[in-house]
Amino acid sequence: MVDVTTILAGLGDALSLTNLLFVIGGVALGQFIGALPGTGPVMAMAVAIPFTFVLDPLAAISFLVGVNKGGLFGGAIPAILINTPGTPDAAATALDGHPLAKKGKPVKAMKMALFSSVTGDTFSDIVLITLSAPLAIIALQMGPVEIFALMIFAFSIIAGLIGDSITKALIAAVLGLFCAMVGLDPEHGTPRLYFGYFELFDGLPLTAVAIGMLAVAEIFRRLANIGKSILPTIEIPDTQDAWDKRVSLAEYWACRYVMARGAIIGTVLGAIPGIGSTAAAFMSYASTKQTSKDPDSFGKGNIQGVAATEAANSAVVGANLIPLLAIGIPGSITAALLISAFKIHGIQPGPLLFEQQGRLIYGLFGAMLMANLMNLLIGQASLRLWARIISAPESLVFSAALVLCITGVYASTGGMFGVAVMLVFAILGYVMTSFGYSVVIFIIAFFLGNKLELSLSQTLVILNGDPLAIINFPVALALLLLSIFSIVWLGYLAPRRARKRADAYNNNPE
Amino acid sequence: MLLNRLSGAFVVTLGLLLYFMIIPMHTEVVDYGWMRPQSIPNACAILFVFLGIVQVLFPTGATSVGFFELLRVSLFAIVTMAALWAMARYGFLAITPIFVGALMLLVGERRIGWLLGGVVVLPLTIWLTVVLLLDRTLP
Repeated sequence: MVDVTTILAGLGDALSLTNLLFVIGGVALGQFIGALPGTGPVMAMAVAIPFTFVLDPLAAISFLVGVNKGGLFGGAIPAILINTPGTPDAAATALDGHPLAKKGKPVKAMKMALFSSVTGDTFSDIVLITLSAPLAIIALQMGPVEIFALMIFAFSIIAGLIGDSITKALIAAVLGLFCAMVGLDPEHGTPRLYFGYFELFDGLPLTAVAIGMLAVAEIFRRLANIGKSILPTIEIPDTQDAWDKRVSLAEYWACRYVMARGAIIGTVLGAIPGIGSTAAAFMSYASTKQTSKDPDSFGKGNIQGVAATEAANSAVVGANLIPLLAIGIPGSITAALLISAFKIHGIQPGPLLFEQQGRLIYGLFGAMLMANLMNLLIGQASLRLWARIISAPESLVFSAALVLCITGVYASTGGMFGVAVMLVFAILGYVMTSFGYSVVIFIIAFFLGNKLELSLSQTLVILNGDPLAIINFPVALALLLLSIFSIVWLGYLAPRRARKRADAYNNNPE
Repeated sequence: MLLNRLSGAFVVTLGLLLYFMIIPMHTEVVDYGWMRPQSIPNACAILFVFLGIVQVLFPTGATSVGFFELLRVSLFAIVTMAALWAMARYGFLAITPIFVGALMLLVGERRIGWLLGGVVVLPLTIWLTVVLLLDRTLP
């Protein structure tokens, strides 16, 4: 168990001036990039990660957490103003945020989004801080067989990301697993599939693969789709009533149950790997509408719709880190990106973190809470500024993002080889997305592939090649059963329910 | 439907190529231990063949392949590839302005102010930040 001195030292580190500046920088950058139509926290983090190479670990992770939190709120700005959500979860915010903006209350809608986002986020951070350490203690009791079962469980979460084709999802997972096989094999230490490139002895660099597939592929697509009108049209009317520019305490208080429900939904769904903030945002929106006394007003500019979705999608951020810190499994793509940031600094995420890097982890928790406060303050001060800055043309924004990806990957991989890998995976990412193969599944499988092989190899030695001997390991057995349950629930029951709900909504949108 | 079948056929071909050519040529043969270097790669290749056949026979899922978008993405990828090759030879500061300028012109940007921002301000800012401020190297 982490002692109080470590916790206090960590929180003290988080409150240092340097760290505070990085948190402020991260939140501001995240809000800015998130506010650009078509981008979001994933792209913001992908671009920012390599530049954290020179920072000390706490400053780097705090900066990235700031980027992520700022980016999630920033995504609500274009969703509300021009009905162009930067991220899928912001699409739910647009349902009521944009009609509210059309009614001449864009600033009120953005401020409500900001307040509810910070509320939901703070709630889930508190849950993270209280839950992850006890979970990590449990995880530390596990041996290789249990870890292998845990890896199978981690792979089973992919079922939650399947989408409309199980075959394609499985192909993407197998491709990710295959790419993870490049480099030295863990049991015999012999190099394989390196094609004469000695740089591949350590495997394909995670940063280059993730940035290539998630950011560069999307930049290519966006550049290819820029039409004749390059400037996005974002307008905030100057002639607004003073009441329409602010959210009163009474309005905020009236949304307290809506935000609480959203925060709980977001936290629960965020803690389950693979579900993500989009499901949380829509689920919170749907339940708020169902329980409202005036459901007809939803979709027409009801401020509670904005509060419900933003509280839920922001609550996912903190909760996503529960599986990452407690058992080393990325719960979302931003968590997977955070893993590459941890690795750049030589830190292995997982239960041992609390023992080996307790001070860093509690520093991170402190930084997360501070980032929430900064999100609120920076958001309040610069809403109008972001709205004006994002009128920069896409031609410049995406060209700049591409150059930043190149320089960032060059800096983190130490040469042009990593940049070339990034480009190859950008092309692969584009082709996969075009043909309907999930790059998120690919990256999760790619990240887990090496660990799966190592734990399988150790397990086979312990079980002497007899798979039935696993019955002597009750925890492993329970995890395998949990994996089957997760495949059935995430891959079959939950999508079926979601489809039914969507059908019901489409048949009767009012 | 056709594109789904085609992607399935590609996956089958990839699986066969991996199993019969690439994996045997690029992994070392080890004759001890439960797991060999080629165990999981071979399993992946077999799964590719199996899943590819399933995709050919029972194609599922949506595709969003646009011919012109594909053409333009290829163009941007080629320009980026050329820029990376040139960057490795002539350096970041010499090539990035040309690269950014080419990208902006290709997407139809003609306003001189924004072009100058991309060609002059952007590379200089990145260079100053990375090399002088962060003390890292650039190509």
